Amino acid sequence: MRYFKTLVGKECIEEIISSRGAALYIVGCGVLSVFSLLLVSNTELSLLDNAQAVYMMSAIIIALALLIAVIRGSDGFAGERERETLETLLITPVSSNEVAIAKLMGLIFSWLIVFVLSIPYLWTLGSTGQNLISAIIYLFVAGTLLVVIFGGFTLALSARMKTLKGTLSIGLSAFLLSGSPILLGPSLRQSTVGRFVDLINPFSNALNMLDSVVVDSLGVLFQIIPLAILVFYTIAAIWVLSMAAKRVEL
Amino acid sequence: MKKYVALCIGFMMAMLFVVAGNSHAEGTPFIQVSIQAPTGALKMGDRPVFKGVVKNTGQRNLQGLVVYLSLVSLKPGHEHPVDLEDWSAQKAVRIDQLVSGETNRQDWPMRLIQAGRFGVALTIVDPLENRPIVSDLVSFKIQPKPTVASGRILPVAIGEPLLLLIFFGLFHWIHTRSRRLIKDVQIQELLHERKL
Repeated sequence: MRYFKTLVGKECIEEIISSRGAALYIVGCGVLSVFSLLLVSNTELSLLDNAQAVYMMSAIIIALALLIAVIRGSDGFAGERERETLETLLITPVSSNEVAIAKLMGLIFSWLIVFVLSIPYLWTLGSTGQNLISAIIYLFVAGTLLVVIFGGFTLALSARMKTLKGTLSIGLSAFLLSGSPILLGPSLRQSTVGRFVDLINPFSNALNMLDSVVVDSLGVLFQIIPLAILVFYTIAAIWVLSMAAKRVEL
Repeated sequence: MKKYVALCIGFMMAMLFVVAGNSHAEGTPFIQVSIQAPTGALKMGDRPVFKGVVKNTGQRNLQGLVVYLSLVSLKPGHEHPVDLEDWSAQKAVRIDQLVSGETNRQDWPMRLIQAGRFGVALTIVDPLENRPIVSDLVSFKIQPKPTVASGRILPVAIGEPLLLLIFFGLFHWIHTRSRRLIKDVQIQELLHERKL
């Protein structure tokens, strides 16, 4: 347990002390700044209700967190393999499952940093409107579950695939595919295919949940189905990761 | 003979009256069109509905009339026609048939996305006529309404990345400096041991 704790600590601290981690957060902050400035400077966007602006900002925050999770998740095992440190890591007195869980916790830690950094932006956009607190709570819940889902699947890929490039390209493609709700817009999601994709896509479920909470002010009862779908994917991602971690490619 | 001359003059005068009457009928508009702005103060972001009325005041039935909305900015010194792209989803209406004496009413919903003084008018095009008919220009004023507090966003949007940059910069500087110090101490210890 002591070694596991050390490993978790190392994964989290690496986030702050590595220049790559710092660059990711600074760029992420820049993205949020540009988007929030766009919200006030664009004539049409500036007419949005505060709640609508908060919802849009939440969607961008989630997309940013997932992008970071996919990039870091791809690096999880594949990066160690390329830096030739994977074998050393696997002969330490921690099981490969514990290594995988520690790496997943590192991803959750990086999500927490993004979440904390995003709160001032949400506050400036939504403090004069309704549902800001609900938005922050649901963003935290949905973001955490999504980071575990995307991070878990990418880490599993990283454990089984030999190259970082391959893992990263598959992870980013999956991210783009699931990010279609943001890319396509609401009109294309009204068709039967669009609705089906919405139902099975965890990203869409998280966005729909935020939409109904922040914009439509609906209660917890209306969030049971999207939450259940997200929890189902989370359990599936953890299971897939533990299966993949048992057979890590060297 | 005088009788014939008087009859001819009378006939010619009657013809002149008929011609004059017809030309008078051509000059009067056979369609009346008007548009009404909603009452009350208008502000940015509102979605008021302008009411349009088209009445066939002529003798013949009209078919295939096209009614379209025009918006113009009346800001002094910056008068210009406004593209309705973002303002209105409904830019034109086709009236299939308007029988003599009939009135057609339309709703023109608009989304007010800019503050200032504007004028709106309806134009009707009858495919059988070569002159469109335009309603009176109805002017209205839109008050500005900032929904997102722009004054608060700027400090956060600029300040947070800057603070983060300073924090990580300092952190890395201290981290690298302490590592270098440790290395220096180790080297000095090693040198000291060798001297001994």
